[in-house]
Amino acid sequence: MAGELIGSILSLIVLVGLGTAGVLTVLIWKKNRVARVTFLRFVIQAVGLAALFFLFSLEPSIPLLYVLITWFTVTLFLGRFFCGWICPFAFIMDIESLIRKTLKIRHRLLPDKLNIALHKGRYLILAVFLLLPLALWLLNPPPNTASAVMMAQLLAGPFRPYSIIIDPLIPFVVPWTGQLVLGSVNLSYPYIGNILTFVEATPGQIFAVVFVAVTLIGAFFVRRVWCRFCPAGASIAALNKFKAFKGVPLLYIEKDEEKCPKCGVCKRVCPVQVNDVYEQKGGKIGTSQCMLCARCVEMCPYEDTLKIKFGNKPVFKSRNWLESSIVNEERKIE
Amino acid sequence: MNKNETVERRYLPEISRKEIDELKNTVKVSSQKIIADNIERMKKADPHRPDAMKYFDDIANLFGRRQQEIQAEKEKGKKVIGYLCLFAPTELISAADAIPIRVNSGWYDTSKLGDRVVPVEVCPVIRSTIGAKMIELSPFLEQSDALISVLTCDGMTKLSEILSDQKTIWGMNVPRIKDSTQSLRFWSDEIRHMKTQIETFTGNKITRNSLKEAITVSHRATKVFRRLQELRKGNPVIMGRDAMLVNQAYTWDDKKRWTEKTEALCDELEKRVQQKDWVCNSDTPRVMLTGTPMFWPDSWKLPTLVEEGNPQGIIVADEQCSGERILSDPIGVDEWSMDDMLNAISERYLMASTCPCFTSKDGNEDRINWLLNKVKEWNVQGVIYYVIRGCMLYAMEYSRVKKALDKINVPVYYLDTEYTREDVGQLKTRVEAFMELLNARVDF
Amino acid sequence: MITIGMDLGTQKVKAVALKDGAVVGRGQSFAGFDPAQAAEHAVNDALNVAGLKLSDINHFTATGSAMDLAPHTNSTVSMMGADAKAGVFLIPQARTIIDVGAEEARAVKCDERGLMMEFVVNERCAAGAGAFIEAMARALEVNLEDMGPLSLQAERASPINASCVIFGESDVVSLIHRQESKPEIARAVFDAMADRVTSMVHRLGITPEVVLIGGVAKDPGFVASLNRKLGLMVQIPVYPDYVGALGAALTAAARAKGAFK
Repeated sequence: MAGELIGSILSLIVLVGLGTAGVLTVLIWKKNRVARVTFLRFVIQAVGLAALFFLFSLEPSIPLLYVLITWFTVTLFLGRFFCGWICPFAFIMDIESLIRKTLKIRHRLLPDKLNIALHKGRYLILAVFLLLPLALWLLNPPPNTASAVMMAQLLAGPFRPYSIIIDPLIPFVVPWTGQLVLGSVNLSYPYIGNILTFVEATPGQIFAVVFVAVTLIGAFFVRRVWCRFCPAGASIAALNKFKAFKGVPLLYIEKDEEKCPKCGVCKRVCPVQVNDVYEQKGGKIGTSQCMLCARCVEMCPYEDTLKIKFGNKPVFKSRNWLESSIVNEERKIE
Repeated sequence: MNKNETVERRYLPEISRKEIDELKNTVKVSSQKIIADNIERMKKADPHRPDAMKYFDDIANLFGRRQQEIQAEKEKGKKVIGYLCLFAPTELISAADAIPIRVNSGWYDTSKLGDRVVPVEVCPVIRSTIGAKMIELSPFLEQSDALISVLTCDGMTKLSEILSDQKTIWGMNVPRIKDSTQSLRFWSDEIRHMKTQIETFTGNKITRNSLKEAITVSHRATKVFRRLQELRKGNPVIMGRDAMLVNQAYTWDDKKRWTEKTEALCDELEKRVQQKDWVCNSDTPRVMLTGTPMFWPDSWKLPTLVEEGNPQGIIVADEQCSGERILSDPIGVDEWSMDDMLNAISERYLMASTCPCFTSKDGNEDRINWLLNKVKEWNVQGVIYYVIRGCMLYAMEYSRVKKALDKINVPVYYLDTEYTREDVGQLKTRVEAFMELLNARVDF
Repeated sequence: MITIGMDLGTQKVKAVALKDGAVVGRGQSFAGFDPAQAAEHAVNDALNVAGLKLSDINHFTATGSAMDLAPHTNSTVSMMGADAKAGVFLIPQARTIIDVGAEEARAVKCDERGLMMEFVVNERCAAGAGAFIEAMARALEVNLEDMGPLSLQAERASPINASCVIFGESDVVSLIHRQESKPEIARAVFDAMADRVTSMVHRLGITPEVVLIGGVAKDPGFVASLNRKLGLMVQIPVYPDYVGALGAALTAAARAKGAFK
């Protein structure tokens, strides 16, 4: 038992080391300025995925409540950085986009109105999924009614209301119970657990398969389709909007209005079709749709126009990416 | 052209071949003299002029080397597609293996001929282009097999009609409200339509690879252009007129060669920066030009006055569609799919432009912001707002620009002129008074 | 220190001799076809008045539209710069200086040191300048000097077009045909001119005190019209037509000291 734990921790350390090495490699070798951040993000996502995989396969398993608390604490500081850079579900979608890009297939855009409707609708989804377990539980109360135990049962019981919030964290293949079994492979996939909890066995399985298929195919053609109405993202957004936490230094994007000729690149490259970076007059970009993936900052061709800042310190600035090697290399070819 | 001569002319007057030839010769000779004179004065102004400028002096001769090159390419079967506004997607033209070339006219003499067709109140650029067409003066206009005319200002809109007498004209309808989704959708449809038109006309399909190649060529040009821009931010290492000529030559030169030569120029200038070899005193007032385009060769009138005046000024930046606006924005391609490339092209030409023909809910705020940014980045001490009479759009935006520049305490002078050489004396008084004003501000 | 400032205007050439910050001599002559010769005359006149010789002069500065032709010059200064300098020298509170000459009208905004901050010049047409009055006087068949007093007798003004001297003249003719009285037409002429000058000054923004200089400032009719249009009383120095030359002389003095480029 203890040996296994140590073994897992060791592999975790190895993984983190590998990840760091990957980041360094990217920084050193990938001189292409228009893709450097994207590659860095891939590395971090991969490391994150592996880390979560180990975290969830630990024996004895870490209580999910701790994960939840840790996640919320980090979120307080980083905002939706989590969505942009770590979330494994988003990682699947990014990999799909990468495949699509390689195949030179065009992506589709959701109509702006739908996008905004989804963006608003995610709070509703969040609310429903948080309240539904409570309602079910009230309809069918457990025998023991001591309040502390009640609470614990509510949180850890079969309905696991918090899982709606952390489900995107679930790596694809973890030895969890109640997951989707295809053939002999025990697949884990975000939200499948919830679906299977709420819906009867066979229809639940069918529904789960449909859900997986729709999200996978959708994400192939529409970049980060799930992120637009992800209830987990909504919970982070709601947390960051909460007044009590306003004083906490946050990661955010800032725009210099004077340097921006509004060329529209930021709007087009945004994987979740956020218009605010383009439309806002300058200063701090205040939208809970943005996942801080920094693609706009990376692609902005005007020096220092867009910045990612943590507190008051700029972390990453837009640059004249024409200096990138993509331009130089092709020159050599001629 | 011969087949068109039988077509009824709806706009242009009938002129006898003899008159055409006579006028063409006269204007051509005087124009060549002006080109030579301009270059001579540029050389004199900077005795230690970069060697790399020799190439641009050569290419600046509109009736010289480049004309012959294009002729040779044409004989090999290449098509030449001219354009009148910077909104024309030159990458699409290059991708279809045709030569893009800008055909706006900078000849003062031909504007008088244009008076035969349109009233004098009309913008001189338009009149001059009409006049150049009448006497078949402009080599590039004559060589172009088709013209892309972007309906930006009123003058351009009607100019395309008038030229349609003798040319194949493709109009591109540019939306006047820049930052709305429907405008962009409309414009990107226009771009896609233009792509089909170019493909049909040239018989070459624009493939993903050829378009990528064309975009990369543009990227390289923008890159080196930005390098030159950076060099102009510090102590003056190149005369403003030289840099302006380099920028403008891009519109008629071969893009790859232009990039190479400009790179050579930048290399040379960078060396000079290290040696602290400046073209003028570091306290010379730094001037930015904005407003109506200044087309080579005759419109060099004003920059010459600024840089040869007493007191002298130095042009460190401009915000004109004949200058820095040509290349300042790269095409930001996200994914190299055909669709995204076309979207990127549409956005770059529509949304990044700071042409005063646009408006939005904040007016043309982009241009104001861009100007303020340039003033700060290039340490501009004074702005000359150049307007040729007849250019409504620039003239009407002046009051807003002035207010914005007043706020950051940078003097701006509204200078209006015509396509004429006679007012040089009067302009000189005004320009020199403005330079004196700038100098006085520096002194105290 | 003795300096001379020359103002080579389109109609007259003026010269001012300045000794240690005080004007010691003035001279003027008609520009004619040879402004250089005229400048020579003006300078000689000024020197004679001051009782000085050409060799006594430390620095010559020229201004005006023909400044490049001026003899003896050590340096030149723009008309606007000279106006601002001399305007503030004569009336220290002056911040807006309107110079209406024969062929050109201009307005200069300046600071308390006499440095110009901003300027505007009238458009190419001389309708806002002295030549307009001259042409109108011809049309009315009165002497140029009588135009001003004549206009002051008028009780109301008839509107005329002042966008162009030629059109203005034909407007005057039509007023004559309508049998308007001469004083009223004269006032209309000044009003039209003042209108043009006012709109020009408005582009600059009016900062009191407003000073009117140039040859036209000597015309009481124009001054009355301009005051009415601007809604304030403009100040006029004693020799309004010499202000440009004085500005040049002041600049010369500063340059001779090496304080000002």
